[in-house]
Amino acid sequence: MTFQTSASFAAAKKNRVPLAQINVRSTDTARKLARVLPSAADRTLRASTFNSAL
Amino acid sequence: MTGPLVPFREIVLKVHSRCDLACDHCYIYEHADQSWLTRPKAISDEAISWTALRLAEHAKSHALPSVSVILHGGEPLLAGPARLRRICEELTGALDGVAELDLRIHTNGLQLSTRYLDLFSEYNVRVGISLDGDRRANDRHRRFADGRTSHPLVLRAVELLRQERYRHLYLGLLCTIDVANDPIAVYDALTELDPPLIDFLLPHATWDAPPARPDGSPTAYADWILAVFDRWQAQGRTVPVRLFESVLSTLGGGPSLTESLGLAPTDLVVVETDGTLEQVDSLKSAYEGAAATGFDVFTNPFDDVAAHPGVRARQLGLAGVSETCRQCPLVRSCGGGLYTHRYSSGNDFDNTSVYCTDLEALIRGIERRTAASTVSPAVTDPGVLMAERQDLTRILLAEVHQELDGRGGERWDEVWQLAGALEGHADVLDTVYGHPYTHTWLQVTLTALRTGRPEAAPYALQLASYLAAAVVRGGLDLPVRMPYRDGRLRLPTLGELRLAGPGVTGEAQVRPADEGFQVRVDGRAPVHVRTGEESDGWLPVRMLGGAGAPALRLDDLDPYRDCFGAPVRERLAVSEVADFGERLAGAWELLRQAAPEQAEEAADCLTTVTPLVSGEPALGRHGYGALGIALPGSPRALAPALLRGFRRAKLQALVEVTDLYAQDGCWRHPAPWQDEPVAVSELLAGAYERVGLAAFEPAGADQAERALETLGRAAELTSSGQRLVDELWKEAGRG
Repeated sequence: MTFQTSASFAAAKKNRVPLAQINVRSTDTARKLARVLPSAADRTLRASTFNSAL
Repeated sequence: MTGPLVPFREIVLKVHSRCDLACDHCYIYEHADQSWLTRPKAISDEAISWTALRLAEHAKSHALPSVSVILHGGEPLLAGPARLRRICEELTGALDGVAELDLRIHTNGLQLSTRYLDLFSEYNVRVGISLDGDRRANDRHRRFADGRTSHPLVLRAVELLRQERYRHLYLGLLCTIDVANDPIAVYDALTELDPPLIDFLLPHATWDAPPARPDGSPTAYADWILAVFDRWQAQGRTVPVRLFESVLSTLGGGPSLTESLGLAPTDLVVVETDGTLEQVDSLKSAYEGAAATGFDVFTNPFDDVAAHPGVRARQLGLAGVSETCRQCPLVRSCGGGLYTHRYSSGNDFDNTSVYCTDLEALIRGIERRTAASTVSPAVTDPGVLMAERQDLTRILLAEVHQELDGRGGERWDEVWQLAGALEGHADVLDTVYGHPYTHTWLQVTLTALRTGRPEAAPYALQLASYLAAAVVRGGLDLPVRMPYRDGRLRLPTLGELRLAGPGVTGEAQVRPADEGFQVRVDGRAPVHVRTGEESDGWLPVRMLGGAGAPALRLDDLDPYRDCFGAPVRERLAVSEVADFGERLAGAWELLRQAAPEQAEEAADCLTTVTPLVSGEPALGRHGYGALGIALPGSPRALAPALLRGFRRAKLQALVEVTDLYAQDGCWRHPAPWQDEPVAVSELLAGAYERVGLAAFEPAGADQAERALETLGRAAELTSSGQRLVDELWKEAGRG
């Protein structure tokens, strides 16, 4: 395998969030989880979408 | 109308029906519906109590994790601090232990004082303030009845909110657009107030009462908003702007962030000051009584409103927009526009939005401006794809930790700490975490955890065996305690040691040693295992490759390899392994001749082959890099089968780390290779495979091109999906 020595892989590796600091409840991470575990989709808190225009 | 009932997650609570301003663009007082004249000025105690009760019962019966309540008017601060306190008390009390409560207030700010803000601080009521920009812009509409400006008073309110002690309550600024205003002056005036969020809103309009277009331009609103967008981009997007973030989200396959855009079903109900339950507020712009339901909080649960035909009509997604919208590739982003903006007295709501030309220009404009940053680099860079796969595995592991929530006991704490400590040895961890069946183990474990199965924690504790494998691979001088089951100690990617007979379970200590490891069980003398050599009790994972073929693990041991939907082979005989390797080398030679670039990429990405009992090379529920292959026939038959397997594996890997499409299955598309129309995912997969296999199966190339043409018009594709289609055109020699 050579992907582990590619510049893009190395760059991403450098910027990894430490395992213990991964926030699985963040919107971004929840979305990543939902792609492989669909039941995770509704576990996140929903933001208000109300359009006031008052 | 069919389909499950969509519960309400947002309640707009009208706490006062009058206002201390006389804005000439207000939909409550100045548009078609004049029902405010008949409402009590302030919400009654009884209506407050019943609303809290109804909301709690609704949240409980639908197991909602959170609900938002927006205190609204008229001008909600006119209700006074005592009534607002009562509202906060009742709602907080009713929702306590039922669902998280997100309390907000939308106000013009004129009455805002420390008295209100101390109350809001007590109940965490976040405050959104309406402000249309700089003084000139704000004075255009937002004036007192006698024509006086409100601007200085609004600024005073914002200054109060920006004080350190209240800053956490500052929700943002709501700005209704008027294209007669200077967009840059408006945006700059808003950003000067350092808001956590800016919400730009199109003025409510219908086909009967269309929006003002001073210069007659059909894209006047889009041009105005895009001018702001360019400023926002140039300044580094320092303030979240909901409208922009919503369009960017849907272009990327995510949800809309505002009810004015997107196809998401409505989940909002309005409680008026007299306790009547109404549909979305903006409908008051359409016609008298448009928002009415005939229900009230005293007699009706929220489910009654959720089943109301008017509400259901706005929960139909694609089926709920006009025929023109259904054919439009942008409908996933605009959703046909705000429901109210579609209204005409001749055709009700079965129209495009009165802002359709603006929405199209806006979405296209944002798409054009951001293509480079919204496309996932994983689409074009295999190194990024691999990095994202590693990222996904680590996220799944973190999710296991979260889901365990103490169920793993001290043993898990110890293993989790070791996993953290080993982060400094990323190379060895990457090999083990990147092993395709590590992903399978994590998925199986998470499913068990989420369904509360008793074996969930023991599954999770197998993390120790992955860490032990990493430690052995890296030769790190570190003892690792790990479980063995059924008499077998398993080191993923390395092999399996038979320690005892079937049914025996226990714990062993593994420590790297000369060309392998030492294992100690129950105080017995340590056993030394050389990982590369099969010996009494030790079965190594064998390697295929050489003679031009890449080095691949022949994994016929991993307990999670049985994930292909086809039976896997037990341990192969030595002669079978040799035969497998020979045919693989022959097939790889053919692959390199026919499709050299793909052969090179496949060699970089594939790591693991698992023998199947029979059938074509298959994919299963595993990470990137594995193929299930039945003992191959001739190299000539195996070469295209390998390539097909690799194409499928790569697309699956990509789909699991980025959104190539959204709302898969909402549309059906003609597929050139069959009579029945297919969902976009199937069409893309078919095209992807046929483009890749053109060297072996030239007849599929024409079908692939026709599929790509259809995909080019598909509404489901995200920016990344469109980029993938562009790449496929290039690969097909037509890009």
